[in-house]
Order: sequence, then C-alpha cells, then structure tokens
Amino acid sequence: MNENRRQILEMLAAGKVNADEAERLLAALEPESANSFGGFTGTIAGANGASEAAVKTRAKYLRVLVEATEKDAPTTVNVRVPMQLLRAGVRLASLIPAQAHEQLDATLSKHGIPLTLSQIKPENLEELIDHLEDLTVDVDAREEKAKVRVFCE
Amino acid sequence: MTPNIAIVRIETPHCHRISLWIPLFLLWIPAVLLSPLIVLVIVGLSIAGRIDPWQATSVFWNILCSLPGTNVRVTADGSNVAVRIL
Repeated sequence: MNENRRQILEMLAAGKVNADEAERLLAALEPESANSFGGFTGTIAGANGASEAAVKTRAKYLRVLVEATEKDAPTTVNVRVPMQLLRAGVRLASLIPAQAHEQLDATLSKHGIPLTLSQIKPENLEELIDHLEDLTVDVDAREEKAKVRVFCE
Repeated sequence: MTPNIAIVRIETPHCHRISLWIPLFLLWIPAVLLSPLIVLVIVGLSIAGRIDPWQATSVFWNILCSLPGTNVRVTADGSNVAVRIL
C-alpha cells in the first residue's frame, strides 16, 4: 500500500472525509498506481525473464533412449540428435513439389490423418521444434520389457 | 560448420575393439575436384523434381552443417556400435 492510499484511508477512519469522497480520492490515484504497478511488473517480468534464461538454457540435443530385453540379452539404443539438425531437416518439407501436396494430403486423410501439408508453413515447423524442448516421453512397457525415453537436453 | 571427423567404434564379443577416426574434412578435396559434376547433378535433379536448385542446395547444406554433435550408440547381443560426428 502506498503512502497516499494510506493517508486517504486514515482520513476516512478519522472521519475527515466520507466514504464517497474517499472513493473519489482513491479513484484519482488509480492511474498513478497503475503506472507504478505496470513499471513494477515490467521490472519483475524482466528479472524473471533473465533468471529463467539463466536457469533454463536452450536445449541443444534431442535424446532418444531405448532399453529392451530380447532373448534375455539387453539391447540399448542411445541416439543424440542436435536440435539444429531437426530444424534443418524439417526444411526438407519445403522441397516437396506443390503438385505432390494433394496426393500426400489424400493419402494421409485416407489413413485417418487429416493434415493439409500446404497449410504447414516453415514458421509452424520452427514453432514445433521450439516446443519439442519441453517434450519428455517416457514409455515403460513392462510386459515387453522395454523402456523408451525421449527428451531434450 | 561442416563435420570434420566421424568416430566409429565397433566392439563385438569375438573381436577386439575397433575405433575408426574418419577424417571427413578430407572429403573436401574430391568435392572441390568434382564440383562441376556435382553442380550439374544438383541442377539436373532440381529440374527433374521441379524444385528450386538454390533452395535444395541451401536445405542440404544446412543439414550437412547441423550434423556435428550427432551421436548414435547401439548395444545388442554383447556387441556395441557407436558413431559420433564431430
């Protein structure tokens, strides 16, 4: 609570102003407090952003770990793919000729995937890769004795 | 940055551990010597596929430059194969 607001409330408590006058005085303070509050949140947001950036560094790799037991012999697959490679890889989609899009869309929808490739833009794919950083997939199939982990690091 | 070295490690229960360092940077020599042929192939394939040759080159160059850092390790039946691209 700032000093002006406290003074108004003290005046109201002392009976120097009535409730309506106090309300008008408080309302008159609103823009000032809103500005100061806005500046305050801006500072906090900036500080949080900096701290988040410091704490959460950008993921560089996509890791896929598979552990399975086949014929009582353990099989493990450990793949580390740079996120940059994923970004470059999704740009391959831009090389698909326009006339092939319709055929692909028809085939995908026939298999129950209602996807329109022509509507997917490079920026959508970039966004998809960016959101992969928050992805963690853990599959633990106990009957099959297999474990799959997909995550970014 | 293009990949410079690929390290391939193969380990089987029957033979000793094999570690191969493949100097990928040496591939620049044949690549430069064969560059006219490579350009012709790229342009030919791009025309056949009705795609922009510059765009195709850019995409494949980006993929090539993103390869360093790739690491694949597979262990099965006591054998171990690891590939690292630096």
